[in-house]
Amino acid sequence: MSFYFVIIGTKDNPLYEAEFGTWKQGGDGVARFRDEQRHLNQFIAHSSLDLLEELQWAGTGGSMYLKCIERFAGTAGGGSGGVVGVAGGVNGAGAGGVWVSVFLTAGNIKFVLLHDTRADEPIRQFFYDVYELYTKTLMNPFYSVDMEVRSAVFDGRVRAGVKKYL
Amino acid sequence: MSATKAARMGEEVWKTRIDKVNAELVTLTYGSIVAQLCKDYEGDYLEVNKQLDKMGYNIGLRLIEDYLAKTAPQRCVNFRETAEMIARVGFKIFLNITPTVANWTSDNKQFSLVFEENPLGDFVELPDDGRAQNELWYSNLLCGVLRGALEMVQMQVDAHFVSDTLRGNETTEMRVSLVRYIDDELPQSED
Amino acid sequence: MERSNTDSFRHSQYLPFSPTTSSHPSTPLAQKHASLPIPTPTTASSLSGSASTLRYSQSRKTIYDRHLNRSKGAELSKASFAFLFGEMVQYAQKRVSGIQDLEKKLNAHGYSVGQRLLELLVWREGRSGKRETRVLGILQFITNTLWRAIYNKPADALEKSRDHEDEYMISDNDPMVNTYISVPKEMNQLNCAAFQAGIIEAVLDSCMFPARVTAHSVPNETWPGKTVFLIKFEQVVLDREAEFIS
Repeated sequence: MSFYFVIIGTKDNPLYEAEFGTWKQGGDGVARFRDEQRHLNQFIAHSSLDLLEELQWAGTGGSMYLKCIERFAGTAGGGSGGVVGVAGGVNGAGAGGVWVSVFLTAGNIKFVLLHDTRADEPIRQFFYDVYELYTKTLMNPFYSVDMEVRSAVFDGRVRAGVKKYL
Repeated sequence: MSATKAARMGEEVWKTRIDKVNAELVTLTYGSIVAQLCKDYEGDYLEVNKQLDKMGYNIGLRLIEDYLAKTAPQRCVNFRETAEMIARVGFKIFLNITPTVANWTSDNKQFSLVFEENPLGDFVELPDDGRAQNELWYSNLLCGVLRGALEMVQMQVDAHFVSDTLRGNETTEMRVSLVRYIDDELPQSED
Repeated sequence: MERSNTDSFRHSQYLPFSPTTSSHPSTPLAQKHASLPIPTPTTASSLSGSASTLRYSQSRKTIYDRHLNRSKGAELSKASFAFLFGEMVQYAQKRVSGIQDLEKKLNAHGYSVGQRLLELLVWREGRSGKRETRVLGILQFITNTLWRAIYNKPADALEKSRDHEDEYMISDNDPMVNTYISVPKEMNQLNCAAFQAGIIEAVLDSCMFPARVTAHSVPNETWPGKTVFLIKFEQVVLDREAEFIS
């Protein structure tokens, strides 16, 4: 299981991004994305923001955790490497589909996680941990909304969260 | 007044005569001020320190009145008593903290205030630009406050930080020295 | 209204996802998506640029070690806030060219406080924290949760304008900072209120209910310090509300 995680600010700018592999079932925590997938991760995360914007205003106020809002099927077989359309609906075919789960903070900062297996509750816990980390970052007067998060300590804690839940 | 009596007075006044406000609001407000200064002075932290000290000084000139109004006016017999009052009453009734008085010089004219906690610095991490941690004294306002307040009660002091946990030091310590007792001078508000 | 603080003493903060997104406020996302070229890969790690030079004390450790609830409910003296605020005003006054400019600066300070208080308060709600999607919801969050956190009591009134669809008013009979001795002369009402308006505006903007918030002094016999915060929502908010109703 590999994950791509990105924190996106209010101007759709990335504040933090990282790749993780799972620690479960003997995993070593190293992400294993095929090269194309890696290039696609950013694209997928970004394009899911469209759907996110629709979803976040649906209903009378809801959860900050929006699980599995989208599923992107991977490219079939050897990979075309070129432009990949949003190929929703083509299932599996051994090409590694990707789920997108999102967490929205009160101030509309988006935590976007791309994962290849569903794991709702652990992901929710991971997101809440990151929310705590983000809030601590924001409480610092020298950090402003929409700034990149560059702290090595932050990065370490996020990775610790991955190890703990994912 | 003995240290224990001072401590008791501090507690008493804090509990009964002080209108209170959310501490985090103060922390965030102070943070906004410091961040603004850093922006205005374009990262010239030494200048920011000066500004904070000036602001503190202006506050101190007025704060002393508030302090005297709320506490039983006590003539401190010596500088050692003054130190205890500052730590156990002054800081207590304004910031709800009690720094430790320590490291007296043998002539009793210099001491340190060691801060276990500092609400002004909560949540703060200095900018990672290779300079802030070497140049900025984040809570420098407090030095100015002491200077201004004591000047109004006829003491000219120097106060400056010598260490700060925000800078990676193990303690946050302010050094206070008595320069001289003042007779009959009116301080000017510092612009 | 552009709000983000570009700290001049830090180098560029934005890693553009695509050439179109980094420099201007959010445009409708659908358009952005359609024109998106293939992004160039960035490093997988978040740590671009030079390594950190920050030192941490053993005793205090880092901001990430401190529990966010440690100072919850903690109090300081109102005097401390008032003195600090007075100096904030004094300092700002030297750098502005008029009362409106001054109020803008105070609003900006309040804004900065509001952005942080928002996330802190919602985080503290934990699992029951929710995202507000309706105007009434966010206003109630402000008059209840936010007001209680700052002033220890809810706001005194929340009203909707009868004449203007986009206007609401929050009243406070006795705004905190007016009520006590040793008030510095800079501490007049409108200044404090501009700061408070900034807090409210930050919460609204951050939750995607963009609005202008202004403070008005409306003294009466019982409440000489009464202040009304006028909230004027942008059209996008009204349009969204209308869709909810239909």
